[in-house]
Amino acid sequence: MFQLHPLTKLYLLLLSNLLLFLRVDIKTEMVMTLLFLLPFLGYGKVKNALRLAGFYYGCILVDLFLLPHLEGYAAVWVSMIVVSLRMMLPCIIAGAYAFSTTTIGEFVCAMRKIKVPESVIIPCMVIIRFFPTIREDYRQIRNALAYRGIASGKGALLLHPIQSLEYILMPLLMNGNNVAQDLSISSLTKGIGLTGKHTCMTEISMKKLDVCYMLVTLLPFLIFAGGKV
Amino acid sequence: MNQNNKLTIPDLISIGVFTALYFVLVAIATFVTGVIIPGLSYVLLPAVAALISGSVYMLLSAKVQKFGAITIMGMVMGLFFFVSGHFILSFAANIVCGIVADIIALSCKYKKKVILLVSYTVFSYGLTGPVLPLWFMKDKYVANLVERGKDMAYIDRVFSHINMGTFWLCIVAILVAAVIGGLFGQKMVKKHFAKAGIV
Repeated sequence: MFQLHPLTKLYLLLLSNLLLFLRVDIKTEMVMTLLFLLPFLGYGKVKNALRLAGFYYGCILVDLFLLPHLEGYAAVWVSMIVVSLRMMLPCIIAGAYAFSTTTIGEFVCAMRKIKVPESVIIPCMVIIRFFPTIREDYRQIRNALAYRGIASGKGALLLHPIQSLEYILMPLLMNGNNVAQDLSISSLTKGIGLTGKHTCMTEISMKKLDVCYMLVTLLPFLIFAGGKV
Repeated sequence: MNQNNKLTIPDLISIGVFTALYFVLVAIATFVTGVIIPGLSYVLLPAVAALISGSVYMLLSAKVQKFGAITIMGMVMGLFFFVSGHFILSFAANIVCGIVADIIALSCKYKKKVILLVSYTVFSYGLTGPVLPLWFMKDKYVANLVERGKDMAYIDRVFSHINMGTFWLCIVAILVAAVIGGLFGQKMVKKHFAKAGIV
């Protein structure tokens, strides 16, 4: 079990974007993807890591073995889907890792460290806090609708898209409005509006492992650049 | 700038709540377009998202009515796109469109419906960010096809068709969808929130 610093995760995300920018060759990409998957395993999310790895290497297999046998339009479409999916996946893997292994506290602490203004941090906090509420509200709204015989059953929402949009989104917005009010009151009571430096519950610091990992993930890029010259 | 025009903590929390809803709607749009046209879903994603999330935008701008709300919404959306593994340029697109939309809306003090509609349309173009990697990818899959021994002329023909066609389709679809979505949003806000005295 090991856990990386939030800023290291951000660094990994940047690297994964760099993969797209630099149009690296497939060898480098495969190695990098493996490096992105490792922290996942290190955190103990084996199932997630395996699923993403399956997707990525599955794409490569299709690319290598199925594509030569296709002709015409089919080849173009398959190649488009496979290649675009494969190129997005390193970013998605790095993102999924950053997203699913960082707590709100760590995230906020890291954002404060890199001096993101408070007016951006607060909405971010609220969003993360609000997602579970949306899911809960949605379930209640669906129950209430079903009770009145509206849109009960799975595909029923799609039959009247405009009506569903109104009946589901409006209560969500209404409730969101109330939650915003409640959250404001409770967080102002806890002193979020105070000026001065705010401290965090969770303290985070860069460890040796973070530095090592940053260097290791940089290596394939250097090798790639070196091979090009 | 006097105190009334500055964003307060309750404003920031409202922005957070509405951005979360907007994000969920964009996620739904991603899912829907992904099911309908896998592989090319990014082309229509901004349009579908613009179609369904008008009411969120209109409610936010009606509720906060200060400069910065829309900018922050765009910025935070970009940040979340980036962190959830989207291309980093989508961050830039979201911020630029957010600021421009905010300035447009400010010009009427967040009151005139037509101008708000224009501002919403501009904001919707921020969602084209995730489409941008297609530019980088196109070369890749053309190269990939050539490697596999496909006829170059044939590939060119297919792609010239797909590229310009989809590009304009994307732009026009967003425009139409944003106008319809925005009008629907304004109608909803008037029907449900203005009458209840919330905004």
